[in-house]
Amino acid sequence: MFELQLGPLGSASVFLAFGLALYGAVAGVLGATRRDARLQTSARLAAVAGFILATAAVVVMQAALLTNDFSVSYVAGHSRIASPTWVKVVTMWAALEGSILLWAWLLTGYTALLAITAPLSPLRPYAISIMQAVQVFFLGVLAFLANPFKVVPFPPLDGPGPNELLQNHWMMAVHPLLMYLGFVGLTVPFAYAMAALITRRPGTEWMTQTRRWTLTGWGFLSGAIVAGGWWSYEVLGWGGYWAWDPVENVSFMPWLTATAFIHSVQVQERRRMLKPWNVLLIVATFSLSILGTFLTRSGVVSSVHAFGNGPVGPAFLVFFLLVTLAAFGLLAARWDDVKDRADLDSVVSREGGFLGVNILFVTLTAAVLLGTLFPLIVEAVTGDKVTVGAPFFDQTTLPLWMLVLLLMGIGPLLPWRRAQQQSLARNLAWLAVAFVVSGALAWLLGVHKVYPALTVALAGYNLMSLYLLLSGALAPRLRLANRGALQVFRSYAVESRRRVGSMIVHFAVVIVAVGVAFSSGYRVDEQLRLDFGSSAEFSGYTLTAVDRFMERTPARISAGAVIAVTRNGRPVTTLRPRLNLFGEAGRTVPTPAVYYTATHDLYLNLNSSVGPDTTFVVLRVVKSPLVTWIWVGGAILLLGTAYSLGGGRRTVPAPAHAREKHEGAPA
Amino acid sequence: MKLGRIAVIAVVVAAIGALFAFGLLRGNPDDRNITSNLIGKPAPAFALPLYERYWTDYGETFALDDHLGKPLVINFWASWCLPCYDEAPVLQQAWQAYGPQGVQFVGVQTQDRDKRDEGRAFIARFNLGFPNVLDNDSLVGVDWALYGVPETFFVDASGKVVAKHIGPVTPEVIEQQVGALLRGGA
Repeated sequence: MFELQLGPLGSASVFLAFGLALYGAVAGVLGATRRDARLQTSARLAAVAGFILATAAVVVMQAALLTNDFSVSYVAGHSRIASPTWVKVVTMWAALEGSILLWAWLLTGYTALLAITAPLSPLRPYAISIMQAVQVFFLGVLAFLANPFKVVPFPPLDGPGPNELLQNHWMMAVHPLLMYLGFVGLTVPFAYAMAALITRRPGTEWMTQTRRWTLTGWGFLSGAIVAGGWWSYEVLGWGGYWAWDPVENVSFMPWLTATAFIHSVQVQERRRMLKPWNVLLIVATFSLSILGTFLTRSGVVSSVHAFGNGPVGPAFLVFFLLVTLAAFGLLAARWDDVKDRADLDSVVSREGGFLGVNILFVTLTAAVLLGTLFPLIVEAVTGDKVTVGAPFFDQTTLPLWMLVLLLMGIGPLLPWRRAQQQSLARNLAWLAVAFVVSGALAWLLGVHKVYPALTVALAGYNLMSLYLLLSGALAPRLRLANRGALQVFRSYAVESRRRVGSMIVHFAVVIVAVGVAFSSGYRVDEQLRLDFGSSAEFSGYTLTAVDRFMERTPARISAGAVIAVTRNGRPVTTLRPRLNLFGEAGRTVPTPAVYYTATHDLYLNLNSSVGPDTTFVVLRVVKSPLVTWIWVGGAILLLGTAYSLGGGRRTVPAPAHAREKHEGAPA
Repeated sequence: MKLGRIAVIAVVVAAIGALFAFGLLRGNPDDRNITSNLIGKPAPAFALPLYERYWTDYGETFALDDHLGKPLVINFWASWCLPCYDEAPVLQQAWQAYGPQGVQFVGVQTQDRDKRDEGRAFIARFNLGFPNVLDNDSLVGVDWALYGVPETFFVDASGKVVAKHIGPVTPEVIEQQVGALLRGGA
């Protein structure tokens, strides 16, 4: 009897996609150097066909997961019959091989989209070829080192299921997807930057053509980091969202350099300056995303999330070294084309502010990188094992974050080239007033810790800055137009999407900063032992252990405690912190229960097991203020990013001289 | 100038590469050669229910104590464990080769609560001739300090654990370890 075998079908798709990527990478470059349009077109067609094949591989993988086809090695190793359907779908990126498949698929998708939509330019064939060269690596790893479609000769009857921590929260469906969309999105400006160096056209072309890709990638990466924080908050049970774990750090570093990049490109667009910075930042962003993958997939730095070892780690290392060597080598070889010809007119100017952003974010990256690699460096040099914990990262980065907030307020108010003393002095005075008033207010209301108080002061200062920016832009329009303020604002918001989008994002950063400052500065954390039927006081709340409970679904067994929460004798909510056990051989995963409010969260995690005979529970109880602000701020940040991306292609900036008057300091 | 800059970059990249290569080569705690504290110590005793097909030869329970004095190969497996499917034929072959020389093999199904039907299917698929028991509570696995499955322990005739293998066994591993057991016991 003929049976359709999913394994060989998936492998075949991957191998063919690999072949097409190889062909496209070579044909594109040959087509460009020989000026052969047909070769170039064939490379673009290969990009589209590669995407179709990679999609076929993903469809095969999903089919295998959903039909419990344990003859496919990835399914046998990571899936389980009893898992709910959504878990089976996301199991594709719950382990190493599958996540590489996802990454490769998104990469082929972006390349195909680029091949179809990118306008014809001397950069295009090289950029697409570079995207395809990156594909060659990912598809090659997939085909030769980590093939998820290997045929299992004796398929097991059931598999172990994905990692328990990942099954435990729907956010796991979202976070890796966003992360790879971010990484892949930022590959596009990288490819264009390399194309610009190869063709000796280091002007603004490469960045204006990739502006949307860059912002989209940055938005996805930002979303991924917030989603990862939320996942960790809702799953890991220590009541925090960021632990400076190496895996968190390596996703954070590309975000830092990408953030610097999206600011820094504006200087090149306007003033044709900071060219080397921009190339450097996008190369750093791309190679840091590869470095991050290497570090998390190889066990080189110890982390709670490491994926285990195998030949994939060394492959990523080699790729990282190749990319770094090639990109920086190319930059060095083209240095004379790239280096700036103009100098800053004055440090106190918009471009000076952007340069400051670059310096701050690169310093932050360096601090995080040093902290992450320090244990490895020490072990290589002295053989000692050391760890670098959160205190290092807090102490080194907090002052820098404060400077970032400082610069974020003043930078957008500075005009290009040189600030006029008068308007600058007026703006500074207003900012100083806002800083002092909000700082003093915070102090009077009992915020006596340095960083939270400083953050409040800087938040007030930034809100003032946003007000000055908006009023500076709207006031002249209001005077000229005979319309109401709301109408004027609406037309401004439509005309200057990019500007308004950036204001929304900066506003979101203020919200997140306040949330982070308070939730880490004023967190109360206690361990409570509660007999069933008895109550305890915690930070204004009364917690009563009402009962224990046990639930059984095909996928998991949950056992937990029912905790009634009251405040001043009035019932507030009922929380059910639990332990989840997935499968027979699984690990139990504590699952916290959180009561969210706008001002603070009450967070309960079970620190003891619950059985039919248990008479008490041990709870970790955390109250942290303003955590919700972080998630809300993250959402606003994404909205702002989406807003500045929306609305057609009219947002390409006019030449500097045409718009300088409008966007300078408010009159 | 240009060459100089490229050389500097090459040196820096090489240094980073060397650092990470060190990180890769130094190994990490997941390594296969994790040592067991059991080595050199008496094998932890257990008595577990046998699958029905072994009842005529071994009775309903397999107690390790009854078999001390012979070289022992104790293999831990689970029905969901992929590498276990790889190594089962190797173990069956080894049993056919070394069983007659007095080496007792025993398979312990562990971390596999109540999976009796799956256990029977596993045994039937490879027609395993050596006795297999079910460690339903996985407590014997705890006594033996399992890191995962499959793991295989080699116990000499005096009842001491002499070696532990993590991951699927290969014919070479069997030959080396069982060979050592037989020579030591002679």
